[in-house]
Amino acid sequence: MKKSLFRISDVLELCTAYMFCFFLNLLFNYVKIMDLDSYILKAFLKNFTDYQEIIVLIFTVVVIVFHYQMLHRKKTEIFCKMLVGDTIFNITIRYALNCLMILIFVCLLSTLANVYLKFNLISNFYLTFIFIIYILISAREVRKYENF
Amino acid sequence: MKIFKFIISKIFLRKAILGIGMILLLCMANYITFTATRSILSTFQGYRETEYINQEGVYTANLDPNSHIDMGVISENGTQAVYDYLNNNFNYAFYTDGFIVSVPNSYDMKISLGYMNEQYYRLNEFELSQGTDLDFDYQLDGEIPVLIGKGLSKTYPVGSTIKIDEFVLGRPVTLKVQGILKQNTYHSNYYALNSKTYYNFSILIPVNEAFINNANMDLKLNGLMDIITLNTTKEEVTDLSKVIKDNMGLKFNFFSQQENYDYFNEYYLHSLKIIAITTFILFIVITCLSIWNALVSVRLMLKDFTINLLVGLSYSKLRKIFYIYFGILSFINLTVIFIITAFNRYGCWLRKDATFATYGLFGLIGMDWLSLLVVVLSDIIIGMVIVENMLRKIKKVPISLRVLQ
Repeated sequence: MKKSLFRISDVLELCTAYMFCFFLNLLFNYVKIMDLDSYILKAFLKNFTDYQEIIVLIFTVVVIVFHYQMLHRKKTEIFCKMLVGDTIFNITIRYALNCLMILIFVCLLSTLANVYLKFNLISNFYLTFIFIIYILISAREVRKYENF
Repeated sequence: MKIFKFIISKIFLRKAILGIGMILLLCMANYITFTATRSILSTFQGYRETEYINQEGVYTANLDPNSHIDMGVISENGTQAVYDYLNNNFNYAFYTDGFIVSVPNSYDMKISLGYMNEQYYRLNEFELSQGTDLDFDYQLDGEIPVLIGKGLSKTYPVGSTIKIDEFVLGRPVTLKVQGILKQNTYHSNYYALNSKTYYNFSILIPVNEAFINNANMDLKLNGLMDIITLNTTKEEVTDLSKVIKDNMGLKFNFFSQQENYDYFNEYYLHSLKIIAITTFILFIVITCLSIWNALVSVRLMLKDFTINLLVGLSYSKLRKIFYIYFGILSFINLTVIFIITAFNRYGCWLRKDATFATYGLFGLIGMDWLSLLVVVLSDIIIGMVIVENMLRKIKKVPISLRVLQ
């Protein structure tokens, strides 16, 4: 993390954003297998579990916002790094790798929780795939700050 | 207005992702609030409707969950014996529905038939938009007076007749429209108060003793499941339970006012509390996420706001602009919730789902509008929290630092 754009606070922020989305997904999986006696609760929760994918996808907006604001805030730093000899390619690769590392860490935690609770892992993988796409798109955006 | 347009187009829209993020988060907050409010309102509506069974001396029948219906054991004579016992010893309210028939109508809906006796009719006090009260002293071989839902009123106005081939009496009958129910008249399930059947495409048929005696087993058996005995005692309903057990082999429980009240407190109130608490927690979480999103916006737009503040924009004007901006975002979300609800309601018409088809502006009924009102109130609260936090954040950064940015 020596030359990374990430500070501890950024790592924590991204970790929290990922965890929130994975936890939400886990919560949905848990609610789906819950054996509820109450018809009212069942009917109420069905309004959400029926749209699990859409709701989780909507909440991934917090990760998009994180990537967007992170790069915006770091544009001066990116430019300064280039002034002292770094290349945009290396900055981009480091940024993407850092994001992926954080994602893998949170994804592993979530997978363990899913396996422990004997849940289907498909939605977990979907979510990871979506986040990888977000990382790749935001990594492309790093190039935008090549010229300050 | 000019400055508002300028700030929106030159500051907010230039970082549209943040605006979209805010819309999506608000949309989730609105959806959760709307769904929870509607669930709670629907349950209370159901509770209010069934208040008449929570009276002294009223006992509601319920098939014991461990008692299985064995049609081989249940005979026509045994069932008739139970009804004879009921007729001789009890004053009871009889109601059963869900008998679907094909009756030509302008919406091509399948029609649901509901059967009720006079006691049930008096207890429910059905409101009519046209016509007169039902007459229960009719002759079985003549025309049977009925009430119909609003959806059938165009095809079958008061005084007209409806011919039905498949009927519980085992022969074709002619029904005469005596009255038309008010639009969206509903019936709540006793054991799932938030679940409703709307009578817009139903025919309510009055039944008397002779009708029940001549009806087939389906009607007699279904009617017995939710029978309500009036002005009785625990001993009397225990005897009735024994009679049912001896003649039909079914174990029936009869719940009193106190038992129903306890059941409501234990089951419904507990569920409603869980819904309210869950919604509140989710609402707080989403509000926190929205505040985070708003503060991110401030951090990225601070330079633009500062320039505008330096050239004459006041904080009060900025506050006003923020409120209008969040008003627009909330309006977009409200429209989305409105469209989803209207689409769901209209979906019942498209699917020809007669028991859920409702009338109202774009298909929305009273509780939908009330829930939308609660959503508006929740949006005002979120909007105030976010705008004040944004302004505090802007003011917190010294102007000299902002100028340097």
